[in-house]
Amino acid sequence: MAEQIVKFIVNGRSYEIPIEPQMTLVEVLRDKLDITGTKISCGAGECGACTVLIEGKPVLSCLTLAITAREKNILTIEGLAKGNDLHPIQKAFIDNGAIQCGFCAPGMILTAKALLDENPDPTRGEVKKALAGNLCRCTGYVKIVDAVLVAAEEMRKGGS
Amino acid sequence: MTQPLKPFDYFEPTTIKEAVQILGRYGTKAKLLAGGVDLVARMRRHQVQPQYVVSILSIPGLDYIHSDEVGLSFGALATIRSIELSPIVKNDYTVLYEAASQIASVQVKTMGTAVGNLCVATPASDIATALYALGAKLRITGPAGERTIPVEDLFVGVNQTVLEPGEIVTEVILPSPAPQTGGAFFKLVRTASDIAKVNVAVSLTVTDNACREARIVLGSVAPTVIRATRAEEALRSSTLEPKVIEEVAQLAAGEAKPITDLRSTIEYRREMVRVLVRRAVKKALTRAKA
Repeated sequence: MAEQIVKFIVNGRSYEIPIEPQMTLVEVLRDKLDITGTKISCGAGECGACTVLIEGKPVLSCLTLAITAREKNILTIEGLAKGNDLHPIQKAFIDNGAIQCGFCAPGMILTAKALLDENPDPTRGEVKKALAGNLCRCTGYVKIVDAVLVAAEEMRKGGS
Repeated sequence: MTQPLKPFDYFEPTTIKEAVQILGRYGTKAKLLAGGVDLVARMRRHQVQPQYVVSILSIPGLDYIHSDEVGLSFGALATIRSIELSPIVKNDYTVLYEAASQIASVQVKTMGTAVGNLCVATPASDIATALYALGAKLRITGPAGERTIPVEDLFVGVNQTVLEPGEIVTEVILPSPAPQTGGAFFKLVRTASDIAKVNVAVSLTVTDNACREARIVLGSVAPTVIRATRAEEALRSSTLEPKVIEEVAQLAAGEAKPITDLRSTIEYRREMVRVLVRRAVKKALTRAKA
Protein backbone atom coordinates (compact mmCIF):
# COMPACT_ATOMS: atom_id res chain seq x y z
CA MET A 1 0.00 0.00 0.00
CA ALA A 2 1.23 3.46 -0.80
CA GLU A 3 2.77 5.69 1.79
CA GLN A 4 0.52 8.26 3.32
CA ILE A 5 1.25 11.45 5.18
CA VAL A 6 0.36 11.07 8.84
CA LYS A 7 0.51 13.54 11.71
CA PHE A 8 2.06 12.41 14.98
CA ILE A 9 2.14 14.44 18.20
CA VAL A 10 5.16 13.33 20.21
CA ASN A 11 6.08 15.06 23.46
CA GLY A 12 3.91 18.01 22.48
CA ARG A 13 5.52 18.52 19.08
CA SER A 14 3.78 17.76 15.77
CA TYR A 15 5.41 15.83 12.95
CA GLU A 16 3.90 15.15 9.53
CA ILE A 17 5.66 12.29 7.85
CA PRO A 18 4.99 9.65 5.19
CA ILE A 19 4.54 6.15 6.58
CA GLU A 20 3.37 2.76 5.39
CA PRO A 21 0.56 1.03 7.31
CA GLN A 22 2.73 -1.90 8.39
CA MET A 23 5.05 0.36 10.41
CA THR A 24 4.80 -0.03 14.15
CA LEU A 25 4.86 3.00 16.41
CA VAL A 26 8.29 2.20 17.80
CA GLU A 27 9.71 2.05 14.26
CA VAL A 28 8.28 5.46 13.48
CA LEU A 29 9.65 6.92 16.71
CA ARG A 30 13.13 5.45 16.37
CA ASP A 31 13.72 5.21 12.63
CA LYS A 32 11.63 8.07 11.20
CA LEU A 33 11.68 10.65 13.99
CA ASP A 34 15.05 9.73 15.53
CA ILE A 35 13.52 9.66 19.02
CA THR A 36 15.43 6.64 20.26
CA GLY A 37 14.73 6.60 24.01
CA THR A 38 12.01 4.00 23.43
CA LYS A 39 13.57 0.54 23.23
CA ILE A 40 12.74 -2.59 21.24
CA SER A 41 13.35 -5.90 22.91
CA CYS A 42 10.98 -8.86 22.71
CA GLY A 43 8.57 -7.63 20.06
CA ALA A 44 5.92 -9.86 21.58
CA GLY A 45 4.31 -7.96 24.43
CA GLU A 46 6.31 -9.64 27.18
CA CYS A 47 8.99 -7.16 28.27
CA GLY A 48 7.54 -3.63 28.36
CA ALA A 49 10.76 -2.01 27.06
CA CYS A 50 8.82 -0.29 24.26
CA THR A 51 6.22 1.27 26.59
CA VAL A 52 5.07 4.79 25.71
CA LEU A 53 2.06 6.71 26.98
CA ILE A 54 -0.75 7.45 24.55
CA GLU A 55 -3.21 9.95 26.01
CA GLY A 56 -1.60 9.16 29.38
CA LYS A 57 -2.07 5.40 29.19
CA PRO A 58 0.79 2.89 28.93
CA VAL A 59 0.85 0.93 25.67
CA LEU A 60 3.38 -1.24 23.87
CA SER A 61 4.70 0.71 20.90
CA CYS A 62 6.09 -2.43 19.21
CA LEU A 63 2.58 -3.93 19.00
CA THR A 64 0.88 -0.68 18.01
CA LEU A 65 0.43 0.08 14.32
CA ALA A 66 1.73 3.63 14.04
CA ILE A 67 -1.20 4.68 11.90
CA THR A 68 -3.60 3.98 14.79
CA ALA A 69 -1.69 6.46 17.00
CA ARG A 70 -1.97 9.35 14.57
CA GLU A 71 -3.07 12.69 16.00
CA LYS A 72 -2.95 11.33 19.54
CA ASN A 73 -0.71 12.66 22.31
CA ILE A 74 2.29 10.35 22.57
CA LEU A 75 4.71 10.72 25.47
CA THR A 76 8.14 9.10 25.31
CA ILE A 77 10.93 9.22 27.88
CA GLU A 78 12.40 12.28 26.09
CA GLY A 79 9.27 14.28 26.94
CA LEU A 80 9.42 13.78 30.68
CA ALA A 81 12.13 16.19 31.83
CA LYS A 82 11.52 19.92 31.63
CA GLY A 83 14.73 21.25 30.10
CA ASN A 84 17.45 20.22 32.51
CA ASP A 85 15.00 19.49 35.33
CA LEU A 86 14.41 15.78 35.60
CA HIS A 87 10.95 14.49 36.41
CA PRO A 88 10.71 13.31 40.07
CA ILE A 89 10.47 9.69 38.89
CA GLN A 90 13.66 10.03 36.84
CA LYS A 91 15.40 11.68 39.77
CA ALA A 92 14.23 9.00 42.20
CA PHE A 93 15.48 6.24 39.85
CA ILE A 94 18.96 7.81 39.84
CA ASP A 95 19.05 8.60 43.57
CA ASN A 96 17.86 5.13 44.61
CA GLY A 97 20.09 3.02 42.41
CA ALA A 98 17.22 1.92 40.19
CA ILE A 99 19.23 2.51 37.00
CA GLN A 100 21.71 -0.19 36.08
CA CYS A 101 22.16 -0.88 32.37
CA GLY A 102 19.27 1.48 31.70
CA PHE A 103 17.61 -0.51 28.93
CA CYS A 104 14.35 -1.11 30.79
CA ALA A 105 14.33 2.34 32.41
CA PRO A 106 12.34 4.30 29.80
CA GLY A 107 9.52 1.75 29.89
CA MET A 108 9.69 1.37 33.67
CA ILE A 109 9.60 5.12 34.26
CA LEU A 110 6.69 5.75 31.88
CA THR A 111 4.69 2.85 33.34
CA ALA A 112 5.39 4.26 36.80
CA LYS A 113 4.22 7.69 35.63
CA ALA A 114 0.93 6.24 34.41
CA LEU A 115 0.48 4.54 37.78
CA LEU A 116 1.23 7.64 39.85
CA ASP A 117 -1.01 9.84 37.71
CA GLU A 118 -3.85 7.40 38.42
CA ASN A 119 -2.93 6.51 42.01
CA PRO A 120 -0.69 9.10 43.73
CA ASP A 121 -0.30 7.02 46.91
CA PRO A 122 0.21 3.38 45.90
CA THR A 123 1.20 0.56 48.25
CA ARG A 124 4.35 -1.43 47.55
CA GLY A 125 2.12 -4.24 46.25
CA GLU A 126 0.31 -1.88 43.88
CA VAL A 127 3.64 -0.64 42.48
CA LYS A 128 4.80 -4.21 41.89
CA LYS A 129 1.54 -5.08 40.17
CA ALA A 130 1.64 -1.98 37.98
CA LEU A 131 5.21 -2.77 36.86
CA ALA A 132 4.58 -6.50 36.29
CA GLY A 133 4.63 -5.97 32.52
CA ASN A 134 8.14 -4.45 32.58
CA LEU A 135 11.12 -6.79 32.79
CA CYS A 136 14.55 -5.77 34.13
CA ARG A 137 17.34 -8.17 33.21
CA CYS A 138 19.69 -6.64 35.78
CA THR A 139 16.97 -7.77 38.24
CA GLY A 140 16.98 -4.42 40.00
CA TYR A 141 13.35 -4.72 40.98
CA VAL A 142 13.73 -3.92 44.69
CA LYS A 143 15.46 -0.63 43.93
CA ILE A 144 12.98 0.16 41.15
CA VAL A 145 10.00 -0.29 43.47
CA ASP A 146 11.81 1.76 46.15
CA ALA A 147 12.36 4.54 43.61
CA VAL A 148 8.71 4.64 42.53
CA LEU A 149 7.58 4.91 46.16
CA VAL A 150 10.07 7.74 46.80
CA ALA A 151 8.90 9.51 43.64
CA ALA A 152 5.28 9.13 44.74
CA GLU A 153 6.07 10.85 48.01
CA GLU A 154 7.93 13.66 46.25
CA MET A 155 5.11 14.17 43.79
CA ARG A 156 2.52 14.29 46.57
CA LYS A 157 4.57 17.08 48.14
CA GLY A 158 4.21 18.93 44.85
CA GLY A 159 7.53 18.07 43.24
CA SER A 160 5.97 17.91 39.81
CA MET B 1 12.55 -13.68 17.05
CA THR B 2 10.16 -11.13 15.76
CA GLN B 3 10.48 -9.27 12.52
CA PRO B 4 9.13 -6.22 10.74
CA LEU B 5 5.59 -6.66 9.51
CA LYS B 6 4.94 -7.70 5.93
CA PRO B 7 3.05 -5.06 3.91
CA PHE B 8 -0.75 -5.11 3.86
CA ASP B 9 -3.60 -2.88 2.77
CA TYR B 10 -5.13 -1.02 5.69
CA PHE B 11 -8.79 -0.13 6.14
CA GLU B 12 -10.32 1.97 8.86
CA PRO B 13 -14.09 1.82 8.53
CA THR B 14 -16.20 4.08 10.72
CA THR B 15 -19.32 1.92 10.92
CA ILE B 16 -19.86 -1.75 11.79
CA LYS B 17 -21.73 -2.20 8.50
CA GLU B 18 -18.74 -0.98 6.52
CA ALA B 19 -16.35 -3.19 8.53
CA VAL B 20 -18.55 -6.24 7.89
CA GLN B 21 -18.60 -5.47 4.15
CA ILE B 22 -14.81 -5.18 3.91
CA LEU B 23 -14.17 -8.27 6.06
CA GLY B 24 -16.81 -10.22 4.10
CA ARG B 25 -15.29 -9.16 0.77
CA TYR B 26 -11.78 -10.36 1.59
CA GLY B 27 -12.67 -13.40 3.76
CA THR B 28 -9.65 -15.23 5.17
CA LYS B 29 -7.21 -12.80 3.52
CA ALA B 30 -8.37 -10.11 5.95
CA LYS B 31 -7.85 -9.76 9.69
CA LEU B 32 -9.76 -7.58 12.11
CA LEU B 33 -7.62 -5.27 14.27
CA ALA B 34 -8.80 -4.05 17.68
CA GLY B 35 -6.22 -3.85 20.50
CA GLY B 36 -3.62 -5.64 18.40
CA VAL B 37 -1.83 -7.45 21.23
CA ASP B 38 -2.50 -10.84 19.69
CA LEU B 39 -2.75 -9.99 15.99
CA VAL B 40 0.30 -7.71 15.70
CA ALA B 41 2.41 -10.08 17.84
CA ARG B 42 1.52 -12.99 15.55
CA MET B 43 2.16 -10.86 12.47
CA ARG B 44 5.60 -10.00 13.87
CA ARG B 45 6.33 -13.71 14.23
CA HIS B 46 5.05 -14.16 10.64
CA GLN B 47 2.56 -16.73 11.95
CA VAL B 48 -0.18 -14.80 10.20
CA GLN B 49 0.29 -12.54 7.18
CA PRO B 50 -2.99 -10.88 6.26
CA GLN B 51 -3.20 -9.06 2.93
CA TYR B 52 -5.80 -6.75 4.45
CA VAL B 53 -6.00 -5.36 7.98
CA VAL B 54 -9.35 -3.90 8.99
CA SER B 55 -9.15 -1.71 12.10
CA ILE B 56 -12.37 -1.21 14.03
CA LEU B 57 -10.71 1.38 16.31
CA SER B 58 -12.35 4.30 14.51
CA ILE B 59 -15.89 2.98 14.85
CA PRO B 60 -17.44 5.23 17.50
CA GLY B 61 -19.36 3.97 20.50
CA LEU B 62 -17.87 0.48 20.88
CA ASP B 63 -15.87 1.00 24.08
CA TYR B 64 -18.78 1.30 26.51
CA ILE B 65 -19.45 -0.64 29.69
CA HIS B 66 -23.13 -0.29 30.53
CA SER B 67 -25.13 -1.66 33.44
CA ASP B 68 -28.77 -1.52 34.46
CA GLU B 69 -31.24 -3.77 36.31
CA VAL B 70 -31.22 -6.30 33.45
CA GLY B 71 -27.48 -6.80 33.55
CA LEU B 72 -24.14 -5.66 32.21
CA SER B 73 -23.07 -5.19 28.63
CA PHE B 74 -19.86 -4.01 27.06
CA GLY B 75 -18.80 -3.26 23.49
CA ALA B 76 -16.18 -4.79 21.23
CA LEU B 77 -13.65 -2.08 22.11
CA ALA B 78 -14.02 -2.19 25.91
CA THR B 79 -10.49 -2.89 27.13
CA ILE B 80 -9.64 -5.45 29.78
CA ARG B 81 -8.23 -2.58 31.84
CA SER B 82 -11.46 -0.58 31.71
CA ILE B 83 -13.39 -3.69 32.80
CA GLU B 84 -10.96 -4.21 35.67
CA LEU B 85 -11.37 -0.59 36.80
CA SER B 86 -15.19 -0.57 36.57
CA PRO B 87 -16.70 -0.40 40.10
CA ILE B 88 -19.84 -2.20 38.90
CA VAL B 89 -17.83 -5.09 37.53
CA LYS B 90 -15.86 -5.31 40.78
CA ASN B 91 -18.98 -5.31 42.99
CA ASP B 92 -21.56 -7.24 40.99
CA TYR B 93 -19.57 -9.36 38.52
CA THR B 94 -16.70 -10.31 40.82
CA VAL B 95 -15.66 -13.34 38.78
CA LEU B 96 -14.94 -11.13 35.78
CA TYR B 97 -13.10 -8.60 37.95
CA GLU B 98 -10.93 -11.32 39.48
CA ALA B 99 -10.08 -12.68 36.03
CA ALA B 100 -9.21 -9.25 34.60
CA SER B 101 -7.26 -8.21 37.66
CA GLN B 102 -5.02 -11.31 37.60
CA ILE B 103 -3.88 -10.70 34.02
CA ALA B 104 -0.49 -9.23 34.79
CA SER B 105 0.62 -6.57 32.34
CA VAL B 106 -1.10 -3.20 32.56
CA GLN B 107 0.06 -2.40 29.03
CA VAL B 108 -1.52 -5.53 27.57
CA LYS B 109 -4.77 -4.84 29.44
CA THR B 110 -4.78 -1.19 28.35
CA MET B 111 -4.48 -2.20 24.70
CA GLY B 112 -6.30 -5.52 24.68
CA THR B 113 -10.07 -5.79 24.45
CA ALA B 114 -12.10 -8.46 26.23
CA VAL B 115 -13.84 -9.35 22.96
CA GLY B 116 -10.49 -9.63 21.18
CA ASN B 117 -9.28 -11.95 23.92
CA LEU B 118 -12.38 -14.14 23.36
CA CYS B 119 -12.00 -14.20 19.59
CA VAL B 120 -8.39 -15.43 19.82
CA ALA B 121 -10.03 -18.58 21.21
CA THR B 122 -7.25 -19.73 23.47
CA PRO B 123 -8.39 -22.42 25.94
CA ALA B 124 -6.35 -20.55 28.59
CA SER B 125 -8.46 -17.37 28.32
CA ASP B 126 -9.20 -16.02 31.81
CA ILE B 127 -11.86 -13.76 30.31
CA ALA B 128 -13.66 -16.63 28.55
CA THR B 129 -13.56 -18.78 31.69
CA ALA B 130 -15.12 -15.96 33.73
CA LEU B 131 -17.74 -15.18 31.07
CA TYR B 132 -18.86 -18.84 30.92
CA ALA B 133 -19.45 -18.74 34.68
CA LEU B 134 -21.48 -15.54 34.36
CA GLY B 135 -23.69 -16.91 31.56
CA ALA B 136 -22.57 -14.35 28.96
CA LYS B 137 -24.12 -13.98 25.53
CA LEU B 138 -22.43 -12.53 22.47
CA ARG B 139 -24.03 -10.28 19.89
CA ILE B 140 -22.58 -10.96 16.46
CA THR B 141 -23.05 -8.90 13.29
CA GLY B 142 -22.19 -10.30 9.88
CA PRO B 143 -23.08 -10.24 6.19
CA ALA B 144 -26.20 -12.32 6.92
CA GLY B 145 -27.40 -10.01 9.70
CA GLU B 146 -27.30 -10.20 13.47
CA ARG B 147 -27.35 -13.18 15.83
CA THR B 148 -26.86 -13.76 19.54
CA ILE B 149 -25.16 -16.87 20.92
CA PRO B 150 -24.10 -18.10 24.37
CA VAL B 151 -20.36 -17.58 24.86
CA GLU B 152 -20.03 -21.38 25.17
CA ASP B 153 -21.06 -21.75 21.53
CA LEU B 154 -18.25 -19.50 20.26
CA PHE B 155 -15.40 -21.97 20.45
CA VAL B 156 -14.77 -24.91 18.16
CA GLY B 157 -11.19 -25.74 19.12
CA VAL B 158 -7.82 -24.17 19.83
CA ASN B 159 -7.83 -20.78 18.01
CA GLN B 160 -11.06 -21.75 16.22
CA THR B 161 -14.45 -20.08 16.54
CA VAL B 162 -17.83 -20.38 14.84
CA LEU B 163 -17.43 -16.87 13.39
CA GLU B 164 -17.99 -16.79 9.63
CA PRO B 165 -15.91 -14.51 7.38
CA GLY B 166 -17.18 -10.98 7.86
CA GLU B 167 -18.70 -11.63 11.26
CA ILE B 168 -17.80 -9.36 14.18
CA VAL B 169 -18.60 -9.85 17.86
CA THR B 170 -19.99 -6.42 18.71
CA GLU B 171 -21.21 -6.85 22.28
CA VAL B 172 -21.02 -9.08 25.36
CA ILE B 173 -24.19 -9.28 27.46
CA LEU B 174 -24.29 -10.58 31.04
CA PRO B 175 -27.50 -11.19 32.97
CA SER B 176 -27.82 -9.48 36.32
CA PRO B 177 -26.82 -11.98 39.03
CA ALA B 178 -29.76 -13.60 40.86
CA PRO B 179 -30.06 -12.84 44.59
CA GLN B 180 -27.75 -14.94 46.77
CA THR B 181 -25.38 -15.66 43.93
CA GLY B 182 -21.66 -15.83 44.58
CA GLY B 183 -18.70 -16.51 42.35
CA ALA B 184 -14.97 -16.96 42.41
CA PHE B 185 -12.09 -17.17 39.94
CA PHE B 186 -8.78 -18.90 40.62
CA LYS B 187 -5.80 -19.53 38.42
CA LEU B 188 -2.50 -21.26 38.70
CA VAL B 189 0.42 -19.74 36.79
CA ARG B 190 4.17 -20.28 36.51
CA THR B 191 4.92 -16.55 36.68
CA ALA B 192 2.47 -13.69 37.07
CA SER B 193 2.66 -12.65 33.42
CA ASP B 194 2.41 -16.14 31.92
CA ILE B 195 -0.84 -17.71 30.76
CA ALA B 196 -2.63 -20.12 33.09
CA LYS B 197 -1.70 -23.76 33.70
CA VAL B 198 -5.23 -24.16 35.03
CA ASN B 199 -7.97 -21.58 35.59
CA VAL B 200 -11.31 -22.15 37.25
CA ALA B 201 -14.41 -19.97 37.55
CA VAL B 202 -17.46 -20.86 39.63
CA SER B 203 -20.85 -19.22 40.08
CA LEU B 204 -23.44 -20.54 42.55
CA THR B 205 -26.92 -19.50 43.61
CA VAL B 206 -27.95 -20.69 47.06
CA THR B 207 -31.42 -20.66 48.62
CA ASP B 208 -32.37 -22.22 51.95
CA ASN B 209 -28.93 -23.72 52.26
CA ALA B 210 -29.29 -25.65 49.01
CA CYS B 211 -27.59 -24.96 45.72
CA ARG B 212 -30.15 -23.92 43.15
CA GLU B 213 -27.89 -23.03 40.22
CA ALA B 214 -24.25 -23.91 39.60
CA ARG B 215 -21.71 -23.20 36.90
CA ILE B 216 -18.26 -24.73 37.17
CA VAL B 217 -15.91 -23.71 34.38
CA LEU B 218 -12.45 -25.04 33.60
CA GLY B 219 -9.81 -23.32 31.45
CA SER B 220 -6.48 -24.57 30.01
CA VAL B 221 -7.47 -28.22 30.46
CA ALA B 222 -9.24 -29.02 27.15
CA PRO B 223 -9.14 -27.73 23.54
CA THR B 224 -11.64 -25.05 24.59
CA VAL B 225 -12.79 -23.65 27.90
CA ILE B 226 -15.35 -26.19 29.21
CA ARG B 227 -18.10 -26.51 31.79
CA ALA B 228 -17.81 -29.43 34.22
CA THR B 229 -21.44 -30.44 33.75
CA ARG B 230 -21.38 -33.59 35.88
CA ALA B 231 -19.81 -31.66 38.75
CA GLU B 232 -22.45 -28.94 38.31
CA GLU B 233 -25.21 -31.57 38.39
CA ALA B 234 -23.83 -33.06 41.62
CA LEU B 235 -23.74 -29.64 43.23
CA ARG B 236 -27.20 -28.57 42.07
CA SER B 237 -29.88 -29.49 44.62
CA SER B 238 -27.20 -30.57 47.07
CA THR B 239 -26.95 -29.20 50.58
CA LEU B 240 -23.35 -28.20 50.06
CA GLU B 241 -21.70 -29.96 52.97
CA PRO B 242 -17.91 -30.42 52.80
CA LYS B 243 -18.19 -34.05 51.62
CA VAL B 244 -20.29 -32.97 48.63
CA ILE B 245 -17.79 -30.26 47.71
CA GLU B 246 -14.98 -32.86 47.74
CA GLU B 247 -17.00 -35.12 45.44
CA VAL B 248 -17.81 -32.22 43.12
CA ALA B 249 -14.11 -31.29 42.88
CA GLN B 250 -13.23 -34.91 42.10
CA LEU B 251 -15.90 -35.09 39.38
CA ALA B 252 -14.60 -31.86 37.80
CA ALA B 253 -11.06 -33.28 37.76
CA GLY B 254 -12.45 -36.30 35.90
CA GLU B 255 -14.13 -34.07 33.32
CA ALA B 256 -10.92 -32.19 32.48
CA LYS B 257 -9.08 -33.36 29.36
CA PRO B 258 -5.67 -31.78 29.86
CA ILE B 259 -2.47 -32.27 27.91
CA THR B 260 1.16 -32.28 28.92
CA ASP B 261 3.09 -29.28 27.57
CA LEU B 262 5.92 -27.02 28.64
CA ARG B 263 3.82 -25.48 31.40
CA SER B 264 2.49 -28.59 33.10
CA THR B 265 1.63 -32.30 32.93
CA ILE B 266 -1.69 -34.07 32.49
CA GLU B 267 -1.52 -35.46 36.02
CA TYR B 268 -0.66 -32.16 37.70
CA ARG B 269 -3.29 -30.21 35.80
CA ARG B 270 -5.98 -32.75 36.69
CA GLU B 271 -5.02 -32.66 40.36
CA MET B 272 -4.99 -28.85 40.34
CA VAL B 273 -8.48 -28.79 38.81
CA ARG B 274 -9.63 -30.71 41.87
CA VAL B 275 -7.89 -28.31 44.27
CA LEU B 276 -8.98 -25.11 42.52
CA VAL B 277 -12.60 -26.24 42.06
CA ARG B 278 -12.79 -27.08 45.76
CA ARG B 279 -11.41 -23.65 46.71
CA ALA B 280 -13.58 -21.80 44.21
CA VAL B 281 -16.79 -23.56 45.28
CA LYS B 282 -16.06 -22.79 48.94
CA LYS B 283 -15.35 -19.15 48.21
CA ALA B 284 -18.38 -18.78 45.94
CA LEU B 285 -20.53 -20.32 48.65
CA THR B 286 -19.28 -17.88 51.29
CA ARG B 287 -19.97 -14.98 48.94
CA ALA B 288 -23.44 -16.27 48.02
CA LYS B 289 -24.41 -16.38 51.68
CA ALA B 290 -22.89 -12.98 52.50
